[in-house]
Amino acid sequence: MILDPGILALLVSSLLISLMSLYASGWSIRILRRWDLASGSELQLALERRTYLISTIVSYFLAFQLVSLFLFIQTADSISHLFVGAMCAVGTLTVSSFGYPTLLLKIVTFILAGLWLILNHADNQGYDYPLIKAKYLLLLIMAPFILAETVVQGAYFLGLRPDIITSCCGSLFSQNSHKITSEILAAPSAPMEIVFYSSMFITFAAGARLFVQGKGGYFFASMSGIAFLTSIVSVISFISLYFYEMPSHHCPFCILQKEYGYAGYPLYILMLSGTVTGLGVGLLQQFSKEKSLAETIPALQRKLAAVSLTAFFLFTVIVTCQILFSNFKLEGY
Amino acid sequence: MISARNISKVFNAGRPNEFTALHGVSLDVQLHETTVLKGPSGSGKTTLLSLIGCMARPTTGRIFLNEREITSLPERFLTEVRRSTFGFIFQQFNLIKGISALENVMAPAYPTGEKFSLLRRRAMETLEMFDLGKRADARIEWLSGGEAQRVAIARALIHNPAIIIADEPTTHLDTRLSHEFMDIMGDLKARGTTIILASHDPLVYGSDLVDRVVEMRDGQVVDGESAL
Amino acid sequence: MTRMIERQRHIMDFTLAALLRRKGKNGALLSVYTLLVFILASILFFTHALKHEAALVLNEAPEIIVQRTMTGRYQTIPVAWSDRIRQINGVISVHPRLWGYKYDKDFLANYTMMVPAGNPPEPGSIDIGSGISRMRGANRGDIIAFAGHDGQPRSFTIRNIFDSESQLVTSDLILLSEKDYRDFSGIPEDQSTDLALQVRNPREYATIAEKISRMYPDSRPIVRTEIQRTYDALFGWRSGLMIVIFAAVALAFVIFAWDKATGLSAEEQKEIGILKAVGWETSDIMLMKFWEGSIISLTAFLLGTILAYAHVFFTSAALFAPVIKGWSTLYPTFRLTPFIDFGQVATLFFLTVVPYTVTTIIPSWRAATIDPDTVMR
Repeated sequence: MILDPGILALLVSSLLISLMSLYASGWSIRILRRWDLASGSELQLALERRTYLISTIVSYFLAFQLVSLFLFIQTADSISHLFVGAMCAVGTLTVSSFGYPTLLLKIVTFILAGLWLILNHADNQGYDYPLIKAKYLLLLIMAPFILAETVVQGAYFLGLRPDIITSCCGSLFSQNSHKITSEILAAPSAPMEIVFYSSMFITFAAGARLFVQGKGGYFFASMSGIAFLTSIVSVISFISLYFYEMPSHHCPFCILQKEYGYAGYPLYILMLSGTVTGLGVGLLQQFSKEKSLAETIPALQRKLAAVSLTAFFLFTVIVTCQILFSNFKLEGY
Repeated sequence: MISARNISKVFNAGRPNEFTALHGVSLDVQLHETTVLKGPSGSGKTTLLSLIGCMARPTTGRIFLNEREITSLPERFLTEVRRSTFGFIFQQFNLIKGISALENVMAPAYPTGEKFSLLRRRAMETLEMFDLGKRADARIEWLSGGEAQRVAIARALIHNPAIIIADEPTTHLDTRLSHEFMDIMGDLKARGTTIILASHDPLVYGSDLVDRVVEMRDGQVVDGESAL
Repeated sequence: MTRMIERQRHIMDFTLAALLRRKGKNGALLSVYTLLVFILASILFFTHALKHEAALVLNEAPEIIVQRTMTGRYQTIPVAWSDRIRQINGVISVHPRLWGYKYDKDFLANYTMMVPAGNPPEPGSIDIGSGISRMRGANRGDIIAFAGHDGQPRSFTIRNIFDSESQLVTSDLILLSEKDYRDFSGIPEDQSTDLALQVRNPREYATIAEKISRMYPDSRPIVRTEIQRTYDALFGWRSGLMIVIFAAVALAFVIFAWDKATGLSAEEQKEIGILKAVGWETSDIMLMKFWEGSIISLTAFLLGTILAYAHVFFTSAALFAPVIKGWSTLYPTFRLTPFIDFGQVATLFFLTVVPYTVTTIIPSWRAATIDPDTVMR
């Protein structure tokens, strides 16, 4: 393994987060089995108090996970030159087959944690803990992903072997032993631009409908999910080109670097927050029939939709500005 | 009206030091009246007060506040009810040391997110009601016993509660201050506030102010026109 | 919305006042915390700056260096080899280089001596780095003497003193003419230290290196990117190792923080009880504890980071540079170029704030769930 401080930090934090999530899962099981709101027993009081602890843990988890997501990419980027052929984070991540799964798990757990907090927020508005079972079931679903992330990330970092000079000769002859693909397969740019703008347009329309008429929660949620996926594909396919002003540089990570004004951070944060709140709308739709939440859920959905729309809107504005004002023109590529 | 129906409170259930503070108590408290819970220490007065005041939930039984069942409410809703309905005065004032009288009066309202200037004005008005306007910025440690007592009352009034709950308010007061306390309670009652006191001080339960005395012993109501 | 913000503000104000009321306890925690951040940040900044300096050096290094080994040890290389190597396709140029180290007993310093490729000083004169100039108190035009390979001193006139972007590189550098260097070091006319190659296409590095080692089996071609990788792995490894050792210290801190967080004083416990009794809810107390942790963490983090920045970039990490710089301690002093990025700050955050926060979550929750009726009992 490579004893890089960034790697150590990621390993330590994911270990701590896993321990916390195991602890929270233990209590989730107890809450699912023993919850009885009608009872005034000390056990019930203790369980109710645990809910405060668990929601605090998940809130911290969400915050840490966001930082860890970017630190992971940053670390991968900063150690990329340790591997022959790796130019940036893309290369480092392809060194072993655990690289991209780790990144994917980080995104998935971030989204799940965000959804959990939305559910928790809704649940706290009801006087009879209407979503308690759903909430703790979701937590139990989330825990394996968190643990998997720790394991996969550990396997990834422990398996990294840098190509360095040995005492007898250079590492030249190990060079041919593995080849890293530094280029990402990109969807064709021009059609992708159309797909991107149409998916954003439909998402805005669905969001506006939900906001005004309070209808179409599931549709909006699925659209924001689709918008998330198309955004990622678009970043790789054409958005990145306008930032790098190079026709064949499709890297989704380099825009996080200083050379490109850290443009990736606002883009990805907007993308993630738009997706989490958008999916949250759909999740809440599931529970809109709960009596104690009849009024709060539609109001909450509107708020979430507003946040989600703002996020996607700003994302689109940044991307569009870059396309319009960049020196790079896509024609011909 | 506050109605308690057959409430019990058990502490440390299932452990060797299990202790039942209340045994199936039922009680009705009329609004706009002054009720005194009387009894020796350990009789369950304080536990009953804390249950009525939404500070804790009974192990069994139900409590209704104006027809609304409050027993099974989650803590955050119970706190909301407690904050908007009750004002508490404790045996030892329980003021927070190291901060000013004004801040002590304002502290209960911080979580409500009321605008600071508004809250400050309200707190000042309450303090002035008790002639404490000049002492507003004094730290709690610098106040005399009588002043501290009035700050504690002012704090109980910050949310304009419909019901005042006081637990053994005169235990640490001399006779003059005890009388002063009961006079203030008289003023509050005249304004329509419901007052519930727990005390074994004759000066309290013998006061003209009191409409009803409920006697308690060993976690049960033994007397006091409360047999329902 | 405004209510939510007001609530946060009120509780934060209250927390800040409460922290200031307990100066002793919180001051101790804050100083230990700051010290921890300081040490860690110093290690990170320092190794990172070294890596950065090394990268600057390597940017100007030749693409391929050919050395010669004998029985596995380094040897001077015959200048004649360069003619055959120049014949290889893709090689633009081959330069025999002359350079080496010189230990100065009187000043306990290690110098790098080098014959520059372009614009070498006249025989009898030299260019020196600012570190040497400072140490020997030598200025332009002064005459300076060094003992050569045979022990005889040779004197030179200082032509120039340079001060460039990376002091690590030039601080201990002496440039001199080929004639003087051969006389000084005793390297024969037909030998040189190594050969520097320029290659047209980066993709051909490996093939060319392979051809050279086939041509001269005792040669050792080194590609620039490999040097960089090795340096980086080495610096990364060193700082990683320091952090691992340091983990023991961090663990002690976590225990300390746990103790501080769980050991609520009776007064503090009573205060929370009172707040809960008069209308604060568990989540309000948790919010208070959150602000408490944030204020402490943020203060320690900023303070520690700023101190470490000053330590590394203004005093050149006076406290532990010898440990990290390691095998060939650079005696002349030099200043590092300030350089910080998101990765370092995030790493620092994960190694200090996250463990602290995780440590305090459960104790804060325990404090927040004190029964409100405790104040009545």
